[in-house]
Amino acid sequence: MSLNFQLQPLELHQFDLANGLRVVLNKVDSIPVVSLAVYYDVGSRNERKGRTGFAHLFEHMMFQGSENVPKAAHFQYIMKAGGTMNGTTSSERTNYYETLPANELPLALWLESDRMRSLAVTQENLDNQREAVKEEKRLRYDNQPYGEVFDLINRMIFRNFSNSHSTIGSMEDLDAATVDDVQDFFRTYYAPNNAVMALSGAFEIDEARSLISRYFETIPSQERPAPVDVDEPAEVAETYLEYEDKLAPFPAFLFGWKIPERRSPEFLALYLAGKLLYDGDSSRLYQKLVKGDESVIQLFGFTDERRGPSSIFVGAIPKPDRDLSQIREVIMEEIRDLAINAPTGAEMQKLANQLINDTVRVRQSSMARAQQLAEHALYDGDPALINSELDELLAVTADQIRDAVSKYLDSENRALLDVVTKKSGTN
Amino acid sequence: MLEEFRKSAPESLAPRAFNIAQPSETILANGLRLIVFEDKRFPLVSLRLIFLAGDAYDSADAVGLTSSMASMLTEGTENYSSRSLAEEVERLGASLGASSGSDNSRVSASCLTPYLSDMMRLLSEVVLKPTFPQNELDLYKANTIEGLKFQRSQASFLAAEQVSRIIYGEHPYSIASPSAADIERIDREMLAAQHQRTFIPNNAVMVAVGDIETAHMTALVEEYFGEWLGGEKPDRVFPPIPARDRRTLTIVNREGSSQANIVIALPGPRRGDPDFFPVMVMNQVLGAGASSRVFMNLREEKGYTYGAYTKFDMKRLGGEFEATAEVRTSVTGDSLREFFFELARIRDEQVSGDELRDAKNFLTGVFPIRAETQEGLTNLIVQQKVYGLADDYLQTYREMIASVTAEDVLRTARKYIKPETAAIVIVGDAGEILAQARSFAEEIEIFDTEGARLDVADFERAGEPPAVDVTGQWALEIDFQGQKLPVSLSLSQEGPAISGTLSSMLGEGVIENGKIAGSSFNAVAVSEVQGKSLGISISGIVVDGTMKGSITAPIVPEPLLFSGTLSGK
Repeated sequence: MSLNFQLQPLELHQFDLANGLRVVLNKVDSIPVVSLAVYYDVGSRNERKGRTGFAHLFEHMMFQGSENVPKAAHFQYIMKAGGTMNGTTSSERTNYYETLPANELPLALWLESDRMRSLAVTQENLDNQREAVKEEKRLRYDNQPYGEVFDLINRMIFRNFSNSHSTIGSMEDLDAATVDDVQDFFRTYYAPNNAVMALSGAFEIDEARSLISRYFETIPSQERPAPVDVDEPAEVAETYLEYEDKLAPFPAFLFGWKIPERRSPEFLALYLAGKLLYDGDSSRLYQKLVKGDESVIQLFGFTDERRGPSSIFVGAIPKPDRDLSQIREVIMEEIRDLAINAPTGAEMQKLANQLINDTVRVRQSSMARAQQLAEHALYDGDPALINSELDELLAVTADQIRDAVSKYLDSENRALLDVVTKKSGTN
Repeated sequence: MLEEFRKSAPESLAPRAFNIAQPSETILANGLRLIVFEDKRFPLVSLRLIFLAGDAYDSADAVGLTSSMASMLTEGTENYSSRSLAEEVERLGASLGASSGSDNSRVSASCLTPYLSDMMRLLSEVVLKPTFPQNELDLYKANTIEGLKFQRSQASFLAAEQVSRIIYGEHPYSIASPSAADIERIDREMLAAQHQRTFIPNNAVMVAVGDIETAHMTALVEEYFGEWLGGEKPDRVFPPIPARDRRTLTIVNREGSSQANIVIALPGPRRGDPDFFPVMVMNQVLGAGASSRVFMNLREEKGYTYGAYTKFDMKRLGGEFEATAEVRTSVTGDSLREFFFELARIRDEQVSGDELRDAKNFLTGVFPIRAETQEGLTNLIVQQKVYGLADDYLQTYREMIASVTAEDVLRTARKYIKPETAAIVIVGDAGEILAQARSFAEEIEIFDTEGARLDVADFERAGEPPAVDVTGQWALEIDFQGQKLPVSLSLSQEGPAISGTLSSMLGEGVIENGKIAGSSFNAVAVSEVQGKSLGISISGIVVDGTMKGSITAPIVPEPLLFSGTLSGK
C-alpha cells in the first residue's frame, strides 16, 4: 500500500515593497473568494520582564480603529461584505486574517493598510482593551478548569524568560502599560518591514499588485527591532510540580519535554513520534489507555513549534480513582518501546498516508494556504517551502524517529506537572 | 501626503460568477440513490451514506436505539475488531465514522483518491456487517451514561429539553435526548434488529464528491452495495406538531444558577418550505449574528448579556424558532421586555433598505466560502438531497437570497413570529424568575432539573409584603473562587426607593434609582473607572438583617455572589 504521490505545487508570486513589506501571492481561481493574512514578527518572545502580555494586548488594539476606520468597524465592514475574520497571538507572531468574496479584495487591503499606518493608540482604547484582556484572562485561564496548566509547564520547561513567560501576560504588567509604551511597541513592531502579507484565492496578479502598492507603499518603514535571544540550556528548568486546580473536576497530569527548533530533522522526527503516540483512535496510547485499560477519560498531546527551542506534551485526565503513576508508567513504556524498537512498518505507512492526506486537505482552503505561506515567508524567508515540506516529512525514517525519541523523550530531562483537585479544608 | 482614496471604504471589483455544476444521479436496482459530483480540484474523495430514518423513528420503548446503533457500527464487524478497523482506516490516512440526527443517520468517509476502493470496502463492511460486540457495547453504554449525567448539569440542555417537549408535543421531535434508562435497556439483539430493519438501500442516499469519474464511482457502488437487499421502508405515521394559542412560561428551577437562560420559542417552517429564503434574511436582520437587532439591543445597548441571538431550526417535518440569551437573573424581566419589543418590531414595521442589503450581502457572501472545501461542498449537496430541495438549489441560492424584498421579510415575520403565543422557557432561580417573568405569560409551570413538575404556589412570593427597611450600613463579602472580598453598601430608603453608595474592588459607585419590591433589592451603582462610567448592578434578597445576592458588571465575566449583614444604622 505504498503511494507514489506527487503534490501539485502551488504557483507563487513574490515581491517586496520599497518599505520592506514582503508579499506573497497565490492565485487559485476555482472558487470566487480571497483570503488575506498579515503576519507581524512580534509575539510574546519579544516581550521583556515587566511588560508581558503586550503582544496580545496589541492584537486587541488592532480592532479599535485607525485614521479612517472607526472603532470596532473593522468587524462590521467584513461581515456586511459577506466575509469572516480574526486575529491571534503566539510566542512567535501576531497574525490577522480575513476571507471575503473575491471582489471585496480592495476592502481587505484598505482595512489592513489603514491599521498598519495609523492605528488609534489612545488612552481610552488602551484602558478599554486592557479591561477586555483581563476579562479574557479570567474567562479563559483563571476561571477554567486546567486553564493554567500550559502556562505552568512552559515555565517548567524553559529557563530563558523570552520562552518561559505566558502570551496572556500578567495583570500587573498590563496595568503598568502606558500609552507611550504602547506607541513605542506599535512603531517598532507594526512596521511594514517587520511584516509579511500573503494573498490566496481568486484575483488577477497585476490588479492585486497594483492595489497592494496603492494601499501599502507609502507606509514608512522603521528601524528593524533587535533580534531576540531564545537560547536555552538542554536541561528543563524544573522536573516536577504539584499544582492545585480548584476548578478541576478530576486530577490530571502533563509531561513536557524540551526539543529542538521547528523544521530541524529532530523536531520533524519527534512530531511524527507524537502522532504515533497520541493522534487518532489507532494511536498507541489511545489503544492502551482509553480502550485497553479503560483508565483514561481524555488523552491529549501536541508539539509547540517555535523558531528556537520548542516542546512536546503528552497528558491525560484519568477516570476517577485510577492510579496515576501506573498510567504514567504505561506512557513511558510506549516511549521506551519507540526508543528501542522504532516504529513498525505499518506505522510508517500510516504516517506517510496521513501526512499526504493532511497536506492535501489543508490546501483546499484559501485561508489555510495564505496562513501557511505567511508563516514560511516570516519564519524561513521562503514561502516556497509550502511545496517541499511534505517531502521533508516523508523523508524521515523509522530509525531517525527511534533515535530522536531515545535522545529527547526517553529521559529524566522532562517536566511533570501533577494537577490535583481542590484539597479539602483549604480555600 | 494627501491620500483621498483612504478616506472611505473602496468600491468593490466586478463580481465574479460562482457556478456549481449539477451532480449526476442514478438509482441502483435495489433502490439505492447515488449522487456523484466530480470535483477534481484536489485528489480527495468524500463519501456519505445517508439513511432517511433518524432518531425520530425510534419507538417510545426504544429511544436512543438509532444513535446507539450508529455509534456502534465502527466498534466491530465480521472481519474487523474496533481496533483493527481504526488501524486500517488510519493506515490509509483516511477517516470513517457514523452518527444520527432527528431525521436521518449517516456513515461518512473521506480519503485520498488512490484509496477509494479500499474505503468503499471498509464503508460496506461497517454498513453491511457490523457485529455489535458485547464488550464494546458495555464500554459505549457506560461512557454514554456518564455523558448524560454531565448534560443535566448544563442549563442550555435543560432549556432545550423543555423547548422540544413544548413545541413538538406528541411528535417524537419532542425528545431532546435518551435517558440513562433508555441506554441501559439497549442490548445487542435490539441493535442487530434495528440495523436489519433500517439500513436498507431503498431508504438511503449515497453522496460521493471528489476527484472521481462518475462511471467508475457507479461501478464501485454496484460492486460493494449492489447485492444489498432492499426492505420495507419505515412508514411511521407521525402525530401532528401542535398549534399554539397562548403565551406560556416554563421555568426549570436550577439551584445555584447565577444566570437565567432564556429561550422564547415558537413553531417554525420545515426545511423544505418555500419561505426558506425570506426566513433566512428576516432572521439575519432580527438576530442571527453579532450585528443583528437583538444582539445590538440586549448586549451592545443594554449590557444584559454576552450574547443574544435568534435562530430557526428546520427539520424535515417541522421546525422551531428560538430567541435565546443567558442573562444575569436580576434583568430577566427587562430582557423579556426587550426581546418582545424586537419580536413586535420585526412584525410591525418594514426593515430598512440598509438592513436588508447588509443581511443579504452577508448570506450571499459567505455561501461560496462554505463551498470552498470538499467537506463543505458535500454538506451542501447532502442537505439538498436529504431534504428534497429544488434541483437547482445550489445554483440559485444566491439569486434567491438576493431577490428577497422588504415585503417578503415583513410577510414571513408576521407568519412565524407570533409573540402572543410564544413559549417562554427559563432555566435558573425559579422564585426570582417567577417574580420578574410572570406578567409575560398566561400559563405558568415549573419543573426541577430532573424533569419533575413542581407546585408553582411554592415559588410565589406572598402578595407584596411590606417593603423591608434596608437603611443603614451593610457589610458584605463576595465569594470569588474561595477568596472573600469585602463590599460595603450604604443605603437609605424612602418607600420603595433606594439611594446610597456601593464600594468594592470594582471601585466606588453611587446608587440613585434603587428599588425594593417585597424582599428583593435591585440597584445600579454608577462609578467612574479610568474616565469611563461603569454600571455595577447589585441585586439581593433581604431577610432579617441579612442580604444575599449577586453583583454584575460589564468587566466581570460571571456574576459575583455575595452575602452579609446590616452592621449599623
